Amino acid sequence: MDALIIVFVTGLISMFIAMAKKPVLVLATAMIGLSSALALMINQWWTGTGFIQLNYEGLLFDKPSILYSSLAISFVLLIIAGGYSYFKQEVEHTGEYISLLIFSLVGAMCMIAFTDLFMFFLGLEILSIPIYVMVGSKKRDILSTEASLKYFFTGSLATGILLFGTAWVYGATGSFKINEISAAILDGSAKGALLNVGILIMMAAFLFKVGAAPFHFWSPDVYGGAPTIVTGFMAAVVKLAGLFAFLKLFTFTFWGAYPLWSGALFGIIILTVIVGNLSALAQTRFKRMLAFSSIANAGYALIAIMNQSNWSTWNLWMYIYGYGFAIIALIIISLLVNDENDSIEGFRGVGRKNPFIGFVLTVSLLSLAGVPPLAGFFGKYMVFAAAFKQYPVLVITAIATSGIGMVYYLRFFMTAMAKEENESTVEKLKPSILQTIVLLICAIALLIGGYIAY
Amino acid sequence: MVLGSIFNAGVSIEYYIVLSTILFVIGAIGVMVRRNAIILLMCIELMLNAVNLLMVAFSTYFGKADGQIFVFFIMVVAAAEATVGLSILVMAYRNIRTTDVGLFNKLKG
Repeated sequence: MDALIIVFVTGLISMFIAMAKKPVLVLATAMIGLSSALALMINQWWTGTGFIQLNYEGLLFDKPSILYSSLAISFVLLIIAGGYSYFKQEVEHTGEYISLLIFSLVGAMCMIAFTDLFMFFLGLEILSIPIYVMVGSKKRDILSTEASLKYFFTGSLATGILLFGTAWVYGATGSFKINEISAAILDGSAKGALLNVGILIMMAAFLFKVGAAPFHFWSPDVYGGAPTIVTGFMAAVVKLAGLFAFLKLFTFTFWGAYPLWSGALFGIIILTVIVGNLSALAQTRFKRMLAFSSIANAGYALIAIMNQSNWSTWNLWMYIYGYGFAIIALIIISLLVNDENDSIEGFRGVGRKNPFIGFVLTVSLLSLAGVPPLAGFFGKYMVFAAAFKQYPVLVITAIATSGIGMVYYLRFFMTAMAKEENESTVEKLKPSILQTIVLLICAIALLIGGYIAY
Repeated sequence: MVLGSIFNAGVSIEYYIVLSTILFVIGAIGVMVRRNAIILLMCIELMLNAVNLLMVAFSTYFGKADGQIFVFFIMVVAAAEATVGLSILVMAYRNIRTTDVGLFNKLKG
């Protein structure tokens, strides 16, 4: 709870300190605040209690919540540090960019730690509304505006659908608390028809938010039009919060109705991994490719939610760990390359211009493709291995499509490592010190992923 | 569940469920088929209000206050969302000079 308060206060302070028109102050505030929140989270992990004990039962930072919140805070730290060179371009807006990202993180943490549907709904909205604004933050850019409008309409449609589902579940069980809902479903006192409709409607809204396949149509447009750093935030933090809330709500709360939603989810996962990977093959723009890759990745992560293992929380965490760090590294490299058309061809020769960036790019792409010593492999392995006994067809489809995924990751890798035709015009890519540190942290996190997994 | 009556007026909960479902579906279809962004915003409000109606009905049916409190949260969030949505719309109008969502098609391909 104390970490949540610290994160919120950090957001407030960095918003107001921006009036001094010194971007570096905002950065320092954000870094210090988020690092101390992370430290508090780690402290709470070891001691079991936070410094502030509030007698409020809507939020509970138990061990899984701490694990996921720490990961979310680390992602936001890396994104703010890596995107600082972009944020400071417009001095008068630096504070807004950074504080909106932090407020969004507050929402993500509420979504991770919720124990009743009040906090879940509020967290979802606190997460989403700042992102609607951030997506449109390039005010004069037509693409950014369009992306923002599309994200707003699909997002609020999903909110409406989610609330409708919540109302039906409330009507069936008479409670918003997830303990009481799950107890009511298990002992059969919930009313069948109302409950089934409610659960299916809520699932549709969730699939909208995480961008799974029949509901994914908005995501390539929005990812493609948003400013690069916001794309990274959506791909890493929003997916993390959405998937964990999905896990908590379905695998734990709606456990009694498992036969109902697992069948629907089964088909959706197969559709998602196929559509995501096949569409990513055809893309020529980097951010659109990333969007389809994140759709496919959401499909793999949903497998962790499907299976009945006690370890699914940990498996999903490991999966998002490998995926998130790789995405953040790629996004920051794309920010450095700064190709106007955002085309994959713009990355030609990046690895040769700067060997360090080439190394980080290699590590993150191989991790996304799922090559053994890296974190992405362990995430995939754990998720697939846990589900294999129960759903062999699902896992085989997922493995086959991740083979397709390897094609476009490696094609991108070949482009980035290719020799430039006219070497004389090549100018060196110069990451700032902060960006170097961030890229280094991402690469290390991906390399040591295997040790964390055991 | 058919047995419950609301406000002692003999209106059973089913009618509320049917009414709010109809309102919700009208709103959802409106979001999908209409092209004017302002009307889209209104349709989303209609959907949220259908949810509010359902929540209040269930809340009275169970004799608990939490559903009504949820409705206050929904109202607040709907207001925040409408604010952000309208400002995004104003920004879009400045750039493209239209509120027709069908004309926002630069991101394809």
